[in-house]
Amino acid sequence: MGLSEHIVMRELDIPDIADFEVYRRHGGWEAYRYALTEKTPADIVQMVKESGLRGRGGAGFPTGIKWGFLPKGVYPRYLLCNCDESEPGTFNNHQIIDKNPHQLIEGVALSAYAIEANVAYIYMRGEFAAAARTLERAIAQAYAAGFLGKKILGTDFDLDIYVHRGAGAYICGEETALMESLEGKIGQPRLKPPFPAVAGLYGKPTIINNVETLANVPRIVEKGVAWYRSHGTEKSPGTKCFSLSGHVNRPGNYELPFGVPLRELIESPEYGGGMKGGRPVKIIIPGGASAPWLTAEHLDVPLDYESVAAAGSMLGSGAVIVLNDTVSAPHVAYKMDEFFKHESCGKCTPCREGTHWLVRVLHRMVEEGHATTADIDTLHSIYRQMAGNCFCLLGESAVMPIKSALQLFPHEFEALVKQSSHRNGHHIPLMAHR
Amino acid sequence: MTLLEIHQAEIEAIIARYASKRSAVLPLLYLAQDTYGYLTDDAIREVAAILALPATDVFEVVGFYTLFYNRPVGTWVLQVCDDVPCCYCGAEELIAALKQTLGISEDETTSDGMFTLQRVKCLAACDRAPVLQANLDYVYDVTPDRVQMLLNDLRARAAEARKRGVSGRFAEDYEFTRDGRLVQIERFSPYRPREFVIEPPAAPASPPSSVAPEADAGLDRSDTRKASPL
Repeated sequence: MGLSEHIVMRELDIPDIADFEVYRRHGGWEAYRYALTEKTPADIVQMVKESGLRGRGGAGFPTGIKWGFLPKGVYPRYLLCNCDESEPGTFNNHQIIDKNPHQLIEGVALSAYAIEANVAYIYMRGEFAAAARTLERAIAQAYAAGFLGKKILGTDFDLDIYVHRGAGAYICGEETALMESLEGKIGQPRLKPPFPAVAGLYGKPTIINNVETLANVPRIVEKGVAWYRSHGTEKSPGTKCFSLSGHVNRPGNYELPFGVPLRELIESPEYGGGMKGGRPVKIIIPGGASAPWLTAEHLDVPLDYESVAAAGSMLGSGAVIVLNDTVSAPHVAYKMDEFFKHESCGKCTPCREGTHWLVRVLHRMVEEGHATTADIDTLHSIYRQMAGNCFCLLGESAVMPIKSALQLFPHEFEALVKQSSHRNGHHIPLMAHR
Repeated sequence: MTLLEIHQAEIEAIIARYASKRSAVLPLLYLAQDTYGYLTDDAIREVAAILALPATDVFEVVGFYTLFYNRPVGTWVLQVCDDVPCCYCGAEELIAALKQTLGISEDETTSDGMFTLQRVKCLAACDRAPVLQANLDYVYDVTPDRVQMLLNDLRARAAEARKRGVSGRFAEDYEFTRDGRLVQIERFSPYRPREFVIEPPAAPASPPSSVAPEADAGLDRSDTRKASPL
């Protein structure tokens, strides 16, 4: 089940598609011109609602419904585009911007028109420095052509789009932390409610959407709801850019309709091209670091929000990490939780202390080779104290790697304990500091 | 010269983008970092003064974000992603090769002040592992056998003053060709002759200075476009 037509990664193979005029010649900016001159903002919101477009950043929340949460008659409103892509395994936002910045800018502009925002910020992680420059040049071209600025295309619509670079903090991808960071503060999440749609950036109504979500909007407006819904499944319409990485022959971004089986993504010569060296699949992380793990028995799970959830995981950001039998499950859990420990903002205790202790215990077990039976209970106890008690999803996500590893590969933790007692001949007491 | 005197126009353009001055703190810290090499206490206080913020607030921001350096760093800051999946795709081997070649450990700077080595978390380029950033320029597919070539290239660029600031304000990305040369990834040029006529807007708008295409006017891009001298 290939895809005859790409929605998000459209025209990536056209040389210089990042240039305004090349993009324009291939039908780009046309949906925006059409919307501004022939449709009302409410028409566009309705279209996006009917399209069934769901947020691609991880939560899968319907975009049109999110837009509908804006309180009527309260201005100014802000549109924020979340490009703080920093979770292990995710890299499609990066590629969309690098290759086809105008598609994103058109999506941002269209969505800003739909929600009646006159200012939009694209919040990029600080490391996307060259991509930020690509985007800024493209934005300047759109201004020069009169597609951004004041009185756009002779209408009364004004829009400014700015690129704002973060400075290295995964937590700023959390929508309220993103707003804090954009306001010049440290990126710690805010309590919800109030939700951003009611009180967001500078306390004003704000909509935050992911890059991939917004990149879908021009095609929905251009080709219509029915065309869009002809891709994917009924509950997950459209396509998804799966970012495939790990031990596959052809890692990369592959745009597929929702519902393609995991096996096809990994094994098809057009996509993953099979496992490197023909080794067996051991761990599949189907939706970024925060998704519970799947194993080889799940290879036939269709990749859509509902099916992956039914298999016990989540589709999340569509970042599929596939690891072979050479990796140790405790080590993968250790590396993943080290990521979450590093990125914990420190605001709430379960996350700050929980990730810290998980990494300490795992480091001793995995890297130093000192493991006791009690460590396994300690690990269970730590993640249970974290689950459901963290201020935001970062801490909740940190539970997933260790919980999955303990559930799916308990014998590997027991083996660590066995090796340790063989090696040391006695139990090593838990050290306060390493 | 103070930061404000050196970059007045740019600072004003940055501040004008936001409804609140405070929002300009990250961009101004980047500017200060590139101007002074790293964020000295005085530089941080200067940014605070420009934005009329308590200095403590700006120190807090510098401490929170990993791309701000409040101590001296090398001419090139090498940041290697060691997350899953990179760590299973050669990142550890790459770090080992860098440590051996440079004779330093993580978070150290070479004695000639040329390189600082850091392990960092996910760089969102998992398909091009092992990957690193040199002053936020991506370099993809850096296998250990390519380390020496990369370091030579970075040294040569520093000698020719083609080093860009550590904050990535003028960043470009690099990759290795099939035959193993290190080349800059071609970006589109917005200055090619126009081939298509765009229907003129009713009220032509001029680009705001903050996003003008020649924001990096001082930088000669012609030489950085060609392949590295290797």
